[in-house]
Amino acid sequence: MEQPVLADHAGRLTGRRPRARLSKVLAPYLLSLPAGLWLLALFLIPLVTMLSLSLQTCNLGTGACVMTWHWAEFGQQLSLYHGQFLNSFYYAGAAALIDLVISYPIAYWIAFYGGSKKNFFLLMLLVPFFVSFVIRTVIWNFILSDNGFILGSLKHAHLLPQGFHVLSTGYAVVAGLAYNYLPFTALPLYVAIERIDKTVLDAAYDLYATRREAFTRVILPLTVPGLFAAFLLTFIPALGDYVNQQVLGGTSNTMIGTVIQNAFQTLDYAAGSTLSAMLLGIALIGIFAYARLLGSRTIEEYL
Amino acid sequence: MTERNGSDPHESAIDPSVWRGMTQSRMSRRQLLASAGTGAGMLGMSAVLAACGVKGATSSGGSKPAGGVGTAAWWAKQKSTKTVNFANWPYYIDVVKGKHLSLERFTATTGITVNYTEPIGNNMPFYAKIRTSLSAKQSTGYDIIVMTNNSPAIGYLIQFGWLTPLDQSAMANFNKNAGPLVKNPSWDHGNKYTMAWQSGWTAIGYNSAIIKNPGTSVDILFDKKYAGKVGMMNDPQELGSVGLLAIGVDPATSTESDWAKAAKKLQQQRSDGIVRAYYDQSYIDHLKNGDTVVTQAWSGDIFQADLNSKYRDLALLIPDEGGMFWTDNMCIPMYAQNPRDAMTLMDFYYQPDVEAVVEYYDDYICPVPTAKQALLSPTGWAAKALKELAPEIGLPTSKTADAPTVFPTPAYVKNSRPYYLYKSQEELTAWNNLFLPITQGA
Repeated sequence: MEQPVLADHAGRLTGRRPRARLSKVLAPYLLSLPAGLWLLALFLIPLVTMLSLSLQTCNLGTGACVMTWHWAEFGQQLSLYHGQFLNSFYYAGAAALIDLVISYPIAYWIAFYGGSKKNFFLLMLLVPFFVSFVIRTVIWNFILSDNGFILGSLKHAHLLPQGFHVLSTGYAVVAGLAYNYLPFTALPLYVAIERIDKTVLDAAYDLYATRREAFTRVILPLTVPGLFAAFLLTFIPALGDYVNQQVLGGTSNTMIGTVIQNAFQTLDYAAGSTLSAMLLGIALIGIFAYARLLGSRTIEEYL
Repeated sequence: MTERNGSDPHESAIDPSVWRGMTQSRMSRRQLLASAGTGAGMLGMSAVLAACGVKGATSSGGSKPAGGVGTAAWWAKQKSTKTVNFANWPYYIDVVKGKHLSLERFTATTGITVNYTEPIGNNMPFYAKIRTSLSAKQSTGYDIIVMTNNSPAIGYLIQFGWLTPLDQSAMANFNKNAGPLVKNPSWDHGNKYTMAWQSGWTAIGYNSAIIKNPGTSVDILFDKKYAGKVGMMNDPQELGSVGLLAIGVDPATSTESDWAKAAKKLQQQRSDGIVRAYYDQSYIDHLKNGDTVVTQAWSGDIFQADLNSKYRDLALLIPDEGGMFWTDNMCIPMYAQNPRDAMTLMDFYYQPDVEAVVEYYDDYICPVPTAKQALLSPTGWAAKALKELAPEIGLPTSKTADAPTVFPTPAYVKNSRPYYLYKSQEELTAWNNLFLPITQGA
């Protein structure tokens, strides 16, 4: 790290203290030590282990794995499960877009009209998510069941055909994802809208902008980085989701997360790691693309 | 027990390529070096990647327990330590106000303290947890574990010599009272390693309010009349077995070409839109909610659902082709610290009195047929214990005693079919490669 340059009042560089004290030199390293250890133990080591495992060959019974540099695994897994990868993309993408459409007005309203109760409204937005993710998803099973109180009553009133069902379809999976990942969209969006200097609106009106123009030409462009961040923060976790499809899906909408989960549950670590590595790669491509497009700083601001 | 395998739907999911890779040498040494040495940076990375592997047992299987463990001479040296660690599945033993009456009875009569825990949520992940200790020749911390016979886990445990052969001289109650379904089972001849805890059937559950005439065949699951309303299980063992029954083949004696035919039949069932979804244990909720009208089902679930007047229409059908019969087996893992007390406990549960109390709570297939009399006219300790449990269960004990799904009639016994026993990993792979793609469709 750089040595601080010291100068006296007259602006002359001092020669009196050629070296800073040891503790001062070490301070930044010591301060970053907890975070560094955290990253090492909980990110780097598991990541390298996963990448390593994806190239190993394992005995399912004993669990013994040998490094065989089996790069072909990637191609094989992709050829077997590209359909499930695509499903994940469609569903996660659709869910993230739906979430943007739903969250924008909510975030906008809280940021502009929340007043002194902003924190309260944000809390209200999050309260449902204090209940376990799986439980909430399973409850949708009961709400949306074929003869449940929604579909059942609509069918009873002959507003829906008898065979109509929502569960076990791709729509149900997208709806489940959109529901479960809503806070991941709403919060970054809120941050993006909240930080807009409200006087720019006044400026827009002073320049004869209509309300609509003020929104489309001033507010919306200012929130574009937030929109991207929110999309990414929703899309990436939804991409690897393995709960919604299993609980709400049917016979032909398996997502890649389910395939990965099954691989690990059958103790096929190599296949699971390979699929995870590919998913990670895809997520990284998304983040890099974002960074190229909008600069790497913006994403940090919303995390 | 199969029922709680639900969260682990594709217990043996393996895809074809992996298996091919494992059974054939994938790369020559030169290819390997070539791929590893594609660049200097690559080599550096290679070293890191190669360094972190997963340690596991190196034994390739078939090994016998070391040091004469499990022989009569070895057993003669095992003394009681007055403590035993019992790992079971959740909600699988009598409990009232946090007390397990049967375990308390055990402690009162033998002076052995039981550490009863419920860490087993499904077979394979639990197996993965204990195998790290076993391959390091260390105690797993458990003296008794309960593994299902339709999971590959129990086969692995036996194959790798990771189970302690039972003390055949300490099984008096078992020899006297065990029923024909659990004595000398196909997966463990002569009960060398296991004694049943509970059993059940995987058969067919249906809504009798909608299906008035279900017939007696497994064909009902393939009936286009119920298209979109048929629930199937996503466990490849369960799915494959019912497929085999449907093509008229006994799963236990089936061949790989039968499997392919069964898979084709199931694939057809899926592409015809007959299957609503491939479910884990949640299948029972979907049957209750009316999302499905007929489904693959576990016998205990239907019995328990019937207890609620709302779901009295749900009925169990054990088809003429057979109901798949599974058993959760108690066994003693290798390097157990208290094998003598483990034996004592396992045999203790083969007393009709004790089993009556457990069964009143569990409602699966009772391994001790004479427990029926103990339920109908209990005496002594059992009478007191059943009375204490009654408010919790809310049913007369005769209801349990008379249930053919708890004490099977001869016809039910006759229709019980064992699962196929995989003779090698290749077979298991072949099986999974046929049936898993059906449930994991994109």
